[in-house]
This record gives sequence, C-alpha cells and structure tokens, in this order.
Amino acid sequence: MSAAGRPPRPQPVSLAVVTSLDHIRNFSIIAHIDHGKSTLADRVLEVTGTVAARDMKEQLLDKMDLERERGITIKSQAVRIAYTARDGQVYQLNLIDTPGHVDFTYEVSRSLAACEGAVLLVDCTQGVEAQTVANAYLALDNDLEIIPVLNKIDLPASNVPEAELELHELTGATHDEILVVSAKTGEGVDDVLEAVVARTPPPEGDPAAPARALIFDSEYDQYRGVIAYVRVVDGSFSRREVVKMMGTDQEAEIEELGYFGPEMKPTERLETGEVGYIITGVKDVAQVRVGDTITDKRRPATEGLPGYKVVQPMVFTGLFPTEGDKFEELRDALEKLKLNDAALMYDPESSNALGFGFRCGFLGLLHMDIVRERLEREYGLELLTTMPNVEYHAYLTDGSMTVVRNPAQMPDATHIDRVEEPFVAASILVPTEFVGTIMELCQGRRADFVDMKYLSPQRVEMHYRLPLGEIVLDFFDQLKTRTRGYASLDYEFHGYRASDLVKLDILLAGDPVDALSLIVPRERAHLRGKALVTKLRQKIPRQMFEVAVQAAIGSRVVARETVKAMRKDVIAKCYGGDISRKRKLLEKQKKGKKRMKQIGTIEVPQEAFLAVLELDPDDKDH
Amino acid sequence: MAGGGRRREAPQAPGCAAFSGPVRHVYVHVPFCRAKCDYCDFASAAVGDAPDGALLDGFVAGVAAEWERERAPHGVRRLSTLYLGGGTPSLLGPDRLERLLDLFRPFLTPAAEITVEANPEDVDAAFAAWAGAAPVGGGDGTTRGLRVSLGAQSFAPGLREALGRRTLADPAATFQRLRAAGVANLSLDLIHGIPGQTAAGLEADIAAVLDLRPAHISWYELSLAAGTPLAARTGGSRDEDAGADFYRRVVQALCRAGYDWYEVSNFALPGRKARHNLAYWRARPYVGLGPGAVSTVGARRWTNLADPAAWASALAAGALPPREVEDLGATTRARERLLLAARCGDPVPLAEVATILDFDAAGPLAAAGLVSLHGGTIRVTRKGRYVAGAVCVRLFRD
Repeated sequence: MSAAGRPPRPQPVSLAVVTSLDHIRNFSIIAHIDHGKSTLADRVLEVTGTVAARDMKEQLLDKMDLERERGITIKSQAVRIAYTARDGQVYQLNLIDTPGHVDFTYEVSRSLAACEGAVLLVDCTQGVEAQTVANAYLALDNDLEIIPVLNKIDLPASNVPEAELELHELTGATHDEILVVSAKTGEGVDDVLEAVVARTPPPEGDPAAPARALIFDSEYDQYRGVIAYVRVVDGSFSRREVVKMMGTDQEAEIEELGYFGPEMKPTERLETGEVGYIITGVKDVAQVRVGDTITDKRRPATEGLPGYKVVQPMVFTGLFPTEGDKFEELRDALEKLKLNDAALMYDPESSNALGFGFRCGFLGLLHMDIVRERLEREYGLELLTTMPNVEYHAYLTDGSMTVVRNPAQMPDATHIDRVEEPFVAASILVPTEFVGTIMELCQGRRADFVDMKYLSPQRVEMHYRLPLGEIVLDFFDQLKTRTRGYASLDYEFHGYRASDLVKLDILLAGDPVDALSLIVPRERAHLRGKALVTKLRQKIPRQMFEVAVQAAIGSRVVARETVKAMRKDVIAKCYGGDISRKRKLLEKQKKGKKRMKQIGTIEVPQEAFLAVLELDPDDKDH
Repeated sequence: MAGGGRRREAPQAPGCAAFSGPVRHVYVHVPFCRAKCDYCDFASAAVGDAPDGALLDGFVAGVAAEWERERAPHGVRRLSTLYLGGGTPSLLGPDRLERLLDLFRPFLTPAAEITVEANPEDVDAAFAAWAGAAPVGGGDGTTRGLRVSLGAQSFAPGLREALGRRTLADPAATFQRLRAAGVANLSLDLIHGIPGQTAAGLEADIAAVLDLRPAHISWYELSLAAGTPLAARTGGSRDEDAGADFYRRVVQALCRAGYDWYEVSNFALPGRKARHNLAYWRARPYVGLGPGAVSTVGARRWTNLADPAAWASALAAGALPPREVEDLGATTRARERLLLAARCGDPVPLAEVATILDFDAAGPLAAAGLVSLHGGTIRVTRKGRYVAGAVCVRLFRD
C-alpha cells in the first residue's frame, strides 16, 4: 500500500475536543460503480492518519466480506477524519461512503441529505457514466457543493481532456475547478481534501435551538439494538439524555453516542453539524426509522426534518430452501437481514413444485443477488431461486385490481380487463458510435424513445421509457455486450402502463409447474414458449422415463419438447474387488441428486428455474 | 463377524445376511503383466516378456502362506469356486499354475469351477496342453475341465492397439488352440466403445465372437478410468447415446444367438454362467489372496495393499500382509446386496433391503417397468438393467 514519494504519515490529531461549526465539513464521495470511490476513501483515511498503517486494508469502509470480494459498496459508512489543512487549522471532516450501483440509489440520496458537499469522482479512462449523472443530479437536488474529480490518471488509457469536457457539460465546472488524482498512488489526494475544506460550506444550524438529528441510516446489533447513524442539525445530544423519535413518538434514553473513526468511538456529546451514531437500546427497528428526526424529549423541536420516501421493492422472486425442512431457518435469516435492509420485503409463499418458501422483493437484480448470497453464506442455507419478475397490476372486469408479484397469481384471463406493468425512465450514456445499436436494442424491448443529448462530441445521453420487466430479464447484460461495455444505464421508476401481457405456463409430463410460469408480451408468447421448452429440455437431464415439456397459454399448448429416457446408466464391471468403490459411486450420485428438485417423479435441476434468463431475448434462437 | 472388537451394530436384521455364511469362494490375484494396457486401473506390475522366475516362485509361495493363514480363521472346508485372475495368471506358466492349483485341490468340491484368466500371447502349445488336461477334480476322483477366460478385447488389431495392448497374437486362433486342446468351458472378454470403433467395427466383432461361439462372453463398455493413459488420450468422455447404442446392440445380438444375458456385461450359453462371479453378485462371502486382493466375510472387508514386494515379505516373515480393513454396516451391506442383485436381475426379499429402500421411488420405477415388485421381493428388470446404476441411486433411501 505504500507508494514511493508519498509524504510521511501525519500523527493523528485528537478529535476529542469540541470543534466549532465552521471547522466541520460533511461530504460524500459519489461515483459510478468501479470509478474508484472506495480506493479514494482508503487513501483519505491513510493520508490523514485516521487509520494506522498496520490496520489499513483495501476497501476499509466496506465491512461485509461480500463487498470486498465483489469490489462494491452496498451499505453506506460514515467516518470522522481530523485533517490539518494547509492553513494550519484542524478540521473535522465527516466522510460518508456511498454505494455506486443503481439498485442502491436510495442509500446515496439518504447519505447526501447529511452532507454539504460531494466529491463527484469520475474514472478518466471511462468518462461520465449513467450513475455519474444520476448522482450529480441527486447532489444538486440536495443543494450540495460538487467537487468534480478525475480519477485513475495513472492509467495509460486515461483521457483527461475528454472526461474533463464531459464533467464540464454535466456540472459547469471549469478547468481550474476540476481536480485530477490517482486514488491508487495517492497523487492529488491532498488537493481533494483541501478542496473539501475550501469549497464545502460548513454546516448551518443553530446550536442553541431545540436539538434535531436526522437518522440517515441504521444498523442492527443483536446485543445493543438499533444503531442510528445521525447528522445533528440543530442543538446537541449527550449521553443519558432522553430523546424522542418524532415520527414514531418512541422515547428512549441515549445509552451511548459517538462517532466513527472508523470504529465506533463513544463520546459524551454530539454537537450541531456533527455526524455520528446514537444507541438507545431500542430493539425494534420499526421504532427507529431511517429518515426520522430525533429530538430532545424535554425541549422538543416543533418540526421534524424532511425525511425520505419509503423505498419500494421493484423486483420479486421466490426463494425456496432446497431442503424442505429449512423453511423456518429461512424465515429467521430473512428477519435478521431485514433489520439492516429496509428495502428487503418477504412474504410466505407456497408452490406445488417447490414447497414452502418466500416471495421476496428487492430493489433490483444486484440487491437480489446480494441477499441470496448472504443467506447462503452467512446463514448456511441452500436456496432455489425462481425467475425474477416485476409487480404487475391486473385490473379485473369487476373493476377491482389485483397485485401480481408472482406469475402464478395472475387471475384467469377471462376476468382480466387489462394488465399494467411498471415502466422506468431510463438514461443510457454511450459513445456516439453505438447510438444505432441502442436504438435497435430498445426497439426490441418495447421501449419508447424520449430524447437524446450530446454530452460531448463523442458521447450521448439517451432517454427512454422502458418496461422494468425487460431490465429484469437481461437488458443490462445486452446493453453491455452490444456496446462492448461502453454503455452505462441508470433508471428510476416512472409509472404503471397497460401492456398486452399473457401468462405462459410450463407443463412437465402434463402438469403445470407453478414456479416456471412467467408473464410475457402476447406477441412474443409463442416464440418465448418455444425457446423456453427447448432450453428446459437441455437443462433437464434424461429421466428414467420420457417426459413431455410443454408451454401453454391458458389451455392452449404452444410448444412441446421431450426429455428422453435414460438409455444406459450402469457400471460395466463390478466384481469382488470393486464392490466398495462402486457402492460409493452410487452413494455419491445419491448425494448429488439432492441438488435436484423433485417435481412429481421428475428431477429438475435448480438452474432450470432460471432457464428463461438464458433465452435469446430477441427470440431468435429456437 | 470376523475381527470382533468394535462391533458397530446388533447382529439381527435380515439385511445382514449379505456376505455371511461359510466361505466357499477363493480368488487369487496374480499381480503381474508383461506390460500395462492403457485402459487398465487394476493392481498389476509390468514385468516384461522374460519375468524373473524367482519373483513368480515367490508369489506362489506367498499365496500358499496367505492361504494357510486365512483358511482356519474362516473355517474353510470346501470350495465351490476358485478364480485365478489378474494381472495375467497365464504369465505364471503351467508349472506354477499347477503348483497353485495343488494348494486348493484338497478343498475343491467335485463340481467346483476353476477359472484361469489368460492373455492370447501366453497361450502357447504348452499352456493349451496343460489347460486342456489339467485334472482339477475333487477328492472323489471326478474331474471337470478347467475354465479359461481369454482376454480378446477385440478382433480388430487396430482397436487392440488403440487400447495399448502390445500383443500381435490373434485371439481367434488362440481360442481355437485352447478349444482343440480340450478346453470346453471357454469365456471371451471383449470391449466395446474403443476409440475408433465404428458401428460396422462392432458388427465385425459380434460376427467373429458368434463364429467362435464360446460358452461364455463378457462384453464390457470401455470405461475410461481417470488416471489411465487412455483416459488422458481421449479426454475421458464419450457420447451417451453412442455408448447406449453399442451396448444395446451387443445385448440384442448375443441374446438372439442363444446367450443368456445374466448380468450387465455377461452372457452365457445354458449351464455356463460364471459361478464364481455369481457368488459376488449374490453377496456370498469370499476370500481373496495375493497383492491387491479383496476379501469380504460377514461385516468385514479387507484389501491387501497392492505392492507385491510388501505382500511377499510380510508373508515370508510369517505375518499377515498389510491391508486396509472396512467394517460393513447393515446399511452398507443392504445397499450392496441391492446393487449387486440389480446387475443380474435377481429378486431380493424386501425384508433384506427394507431399511435402505425408498419405497416412494420404487412405485414409479415399477410403473415404468424398470423394477418389478412381486411376491415380497424387488427385482430390477431386463429393461431396468441398462440403467441399473440410476435405478439403484433412486431406490436408495437418503
């Protein structure tokens, strides 16, 4: 971690003394995924001596193994830094690290509400990308001072002038205002800290007013209860003080408060403008809601701070334990994850094919992936995931509306007046040479073109209205593939719109398998059905008997394939010398069978339930 | 229940019947070959074309010593079958084979089956003469011809070469020589699925076999055992359908020619089933002698380590050879009972396998005609035999 030429590490400055308001700077680093946000945060911690050299490791603020492995940030983190600026004064910087993926935009927006400034980091080998734009707008919405920074200038592929032009288009920043750094080598990091001090306004707030703090995040600790991440806006809080959550009227005594350094460091008080944590011993996360305002019970504020809208899951999937008796374990695990993940939703579900499980709601596919992986890893559960889908609204002829989060729940076609599906406003940033490619892709995905604008002569931002279902299917992968990775995507929920959709059922040996049903645009139903049964035929290994695989709309079969019967599966030689070996082989195969889901007499491998994800979305291969 | 000490289960359930009773079957493993074939994963040492006589004599002495040591503990009084396998038993030559047989003669029943495996290159006039005339009868003076199992593998020289067999000897001529010498109970070993073997090539082998009309045929699909040169050469896998086609064609052709398909890979003319091998498939107790040989008696299975030198020196020093011992629990023995019986389509009384059987799985298999549930027994049908492995996997309870 030590690059040559770096100045000697400063001695850590004590933060125990009270800092005056004009020496506090609260800021975030915002960036598109993989643009080097966590590396910059690491470097900041290192050069300010916040973390001792022996404790330094990569992605220090990412606590979860999963975050480190995948190189992504899932959960926001806050850390207090003492920085001796070039003016010789010591400033208290509160850095809030944020996720970069579109699924976690809500985490970013929450964190930004606790800041006055944002370092907008752009990888100058990539230029401005979709989440750069989205995050920049979020920062502007929150009235933050944006400090544009180009990263990765040490790489041979860096293109500073081009990226600078794009940043200028986006933020209006001039050449002099745009900093250049290499978070990897540490070059320019001091300038970033100087800019944070010089350009970020100190917190406004009234130290004498009734105390108010915004809960911008929370964490659940099984021993200590809810740990609220707060930004004190007015007044101050101290230990043993009785506080009140203004939204829930929950009252509690502060057991501990403090700041992150980056470990939790207890203090006696949190002052106006400071960022830190408050522990009250409240165990129920619902009573300490993110977005709520904490105030002093004896001298309460009259008005709460503007909160956040509650995030809604957009993508749903069935999670089933592969072993039937693990249902309770799965419920416990989901309950625990939910404590730290407000966006996660789950409801019990039962399936003829898969038994008991949960229909879970997620912010997006990455969120789904992460939750599933955490369940498997941290709770030792083996899970079967069904095809993800969006939430449909089925309006019935009697005027009522049914929410459909599971294709199997789709009411009978004869009772349906219309079906609406969620659309998103998508923005795609792409080099101009791929404009045609994007248009072609979007056309095939039922997308409506809105407009496009040039960020620079080489790059364009295109806006579409697109069914979320298409993104859930594979839009993002296709986007990346077809543009050789150059395109980036950001989207937000736009609204529900009627579409001509039908339910496609899959039958194995004549019986419908509820977990394989899906909702598709009517005009694609035939081709999709054909492709799906073909894919299933490939995925399902030969069985002891021949098995018909059919796709049907209602009672009409639209495609059929056959999984052939096994013709030979026996060890040629078995004499006195190898009985043990042959028996063990069969016993091993028996264990392997457990990874199969038994549907009636048919053994279906788990991957088959996600087969639809592997289809050519243009329905060309069948 | 040999070897007492740590008894893991109560000796009660009928499932424990597997491998119990008096030992009446002995196998002798001759762990030498002239050269190792490219598909072989058996215990054998390549000793070249002019093997050291002292080594081979030492082997015979070792078998004698091991037999002496093992006989009494298992109370062996009579032997129904004796099988000299390998390796290449024929490589010992008539004199040593005769000395080996002498060790067992006093125990053989009048109708005992004695089999010697032979490779075509060893079947010279002297060997043929010995095999045809070898008096192997029991103590009452009756005689019965020696059974010889000849490793032909294929009649196409190119395919034998593909297997890495270094012999030029023509299996058909060798077979005729043995038959002319008076060996009536002849078995041919063949392999299908050899890399390069076409459907027409298979038909040629079938025609050649039926032309000779041996009493018994073992016809195996080539198994590409991991770690063998052949597996490395071919990548170790083969199209499932092609393998099934060849296999089914072999079964069909031999059955049409009057052979009884009495085990997965074995075919016999009436009265010519391999009784020694049937003993394995019926889970009878057996004792194996020689390096690498396996014995199973009751709940105990032991395997001599494969190293011939270690085996010989231990016995020469008056000790038992180094072995690995496996205690077979009731579940294990019941599973083996089922998997072995499945190979022959023998009915197994449900009482013997009730503890390990997944009855829910048996129903659909029966409906599909792969097993038959009848008269308190379960039996894998001929249709089920092609997929006996998969059938057993499904029949096993978790």
